[in-house]
Amino acid sequence: MESIVQEQLSLEEGAAHLTQILRESRDEQILPVLLRQHVSLQAQQAELGRIFTDQSLKEDWKYTPLDFLRRRWQVKPFEEVSPPFSFLEDWRREIVPIPLHEETPALRSFPEPRSPWEALAVGAPTHRHYTLKRDERLSLAFRNSGELAPLTCTISVSPLADCEVWLCLSGTGFSLLRLHFHVGREGRLRLYIPDRLENQSVYHYFLVTGYLEEYATVETYDLTIASGWKRSEIRLQLGGTGARAYLHGAAHVLSAGMMDAAIRVEHLAPHTESNQLFRSLVEAKGRSTFQGRIYVHRLAQKTNAYQSHKALLTAASAVAYSRPQLEIFADDVRCTHGVTTGFLQGEMLFYLRARGIPEGLAKQMLYEAFLTEVIEKVPSPSLQSWASEEIRRNIQS
Amino acid sequence: MLQIQNLHASVEGRSILKGVNLEVRAGEVHAIMGPNGAGKSTLAAILTGKEGYEVTEGEVLFEGQNLLDMAPEERSHAGIFLAFQYPVEIPGVSMIQFLRAALNAHRMAKGLEPLDSAELMSLLREKAALLKLEPDFLTRSVNEGFSGGERKRAEIFQMAILDPKLVIMDETDSGLDIDALKIVAEAVNALRTPQRAFVLITHYYRILQYIRPDVVHILMDGRIVRSGDASLAIELEEKGYDLLISQA
Ligand SMILES: Nc1ncnc2c1ncn2[C@@H]1O[C@H](COP(=O)(O)OP(=O)(O)O)[C@@H](O)[C@H]1O
Ligand SMILES: [Mg+2]
Repeated sequence: MESIVQEQLSLEEGAAHLTQILRESRDEQILPVLLRQHVSLQAQQAELGRIFTDQSLKEDWKYTPLDFLRRRWQVKPFEEVSPPFSFLEDWRREIVPIPLHEETPALRSFPEPRSPWEALAVGAPTHRHYTLKRDERLSLAFRNSGELAPLTCTISVSPLADCEVWLCLSGTGFSLLRLHFHVGREGRLRLYIPDRLENQSVYHYFLVTGYLEEYATVETYDLTIASGWKRSEIRLQLGGTGARAYLHGAAHVLSAGMMDAAIRVEHLAPHTESNQLFRSLVEAKGRSTFQGRIYVHRLAQKTNAYQSHKALLTAASAVAYSRPQLEIFADDVRCTHGVTTGFLQGEMLFYLRARGIPEGLAKQMLYEAFLTEVIEKVPSPSLQSWASEEIRRNIQS
Repeated sequence: MLQIQNLHASVEGRSILKGVNLEVRAGEVHAIMGPNGAGKSTLAAILTGKEGYEVTEGEVLFEGQNLLDMAPEERSHAGIFLAFQYPVEIPGVSMIQFLRAALNAHRMAKGLEPLDSAELMSLLREKAALLKLEPDFLTRSVNEGFSGGERKRAEIFQMAILDPKLVIMDETDSGLDIDALKIVAEAVNALRTPQRAFVLITHYYRILQYIRPDVVHILMDGRIVRSGDASLAIELEEKGYDLLISQA
């Protein structure tokens, strides 16, 4: 066994160290002009230590353990690997990243960083920029060798194109993935993030933003089995009339795992629609956080915005926080949100047992069923089976 | 088959059953009638092992075994089946998945191999036809979005699959229209055998026109206050509880 000697820093020192190496690792040469502007504006001030002082940042990170900052991370870029799913192989077609000097809609709509993480991640030493012109599937699979691997990726989906993007991370260490996409008029993007964090030395931080033009649709499917640390931030702007976003998250948080979802959907135009459907099954000593925001601009009339988050705890030592936030400035809006946290319903368990199903199996079935509410919405049957099997295998009865 | 002796039980410290005595033999059909809140569902819950009920006195034997010591699943394996008054919805668990698990647990308790998929499906289809349930019903989640009538029929369907010795039906007739009631009654009559016993909990005489009981009991305020043959149900229908009891 290889043992990693970790130098212990304080949280503040760790944040300062991480800030410094993220800044230093940035290769100005390869940054597209547009991003360079964003970075140069924001990144000078970006300082992760602000999480501990800035009131609004503190609020966002209140429930998220940041102990990993104590480690003296080194930057080591991702290794590109083939996707871990054989069913993706059939489709594999080389989609070539576009040259950095080419402007794309995704680069133009790249949002100004809102947090120091975003500002720093933007300058990651590895960049990928794609334009998906027709109905295409892009699978991105990266392996982290155990250190800090930051990556920035932009994806432009052309008008009318119907595309899929798969993001698969493996290995250990701290993976910081900054993804921004732009979906053109009447285009559609399905983003799949099947994510298994195998142990406590795995840290995944997804920073995803997206901009949707008129009648564009985005569907996201974030399926997580977490024994490690994960934060999934998704911020979408429904910028064109009739744009729609459907966000799905199913997380099975195992012992000592941490899953943190921070979602923000901004309705900026009329007749837009969004739905956030999230479920977390949290086992003993696991921890789940859900912050779901809906923002409706005063011009975004006739908007439908829905949000549902449920957390099911399998033991008293599991923890779940939910924080729905609505900021609605238009009056003709249909908006519902529901958040529940609790334990298994005794009625359901009794019903199964009264039919002869042993208690352990009955619980397993009900835990799995809880996440099935999201998994059955996944359009890929192969991914559905992957998720169901993973969950079944990991449920601790 | 079932012997209940001087059963006292309470819920949250409140005494609900106050000395129930009942003996049911194989092949018999018993009806338990009584007003709302009399303790009928409480009795069913205690017989099937639901949590939250405290037995303070008395005992229950099922084929000579002390029923109250057994887990709910063990009681099911031993042959007790409750058709619930309010079957719970279980989103995400399909009827097929549920019945496969239940049936195989029963088979395992008997030392049998699990059924293969083909055998399972042919059994499910056969019994679904008996209850006139639509084929798509098997792929739906347990009780989710079922109409009142579908729910009750689904309970009897499950009974037909699990082949129990003692069936307790808790107000299976309530909320059923006459056609659904006839379907349920026909299925129950088809499943009446000399080995199987039924306890029908009901408010109304109506279902007893279709399923003839051997014995009728009247449960009021946690006690069986009268027992008789089928004519007692007719008398109750004519006079109502208060008059019937004041005359007793
Ligand atoms: N789980 C429970 N918690 C609290 N009270 C209960 C519970 N179950 C039954 N009761 C009470 O016990 C009494 C009998 O109820 P029940 O057995 O449901 O009557 P029936 O089925 O005859 O209408 C009622 O007063 C009811 O309120
Ligand atoms: Mg009742």
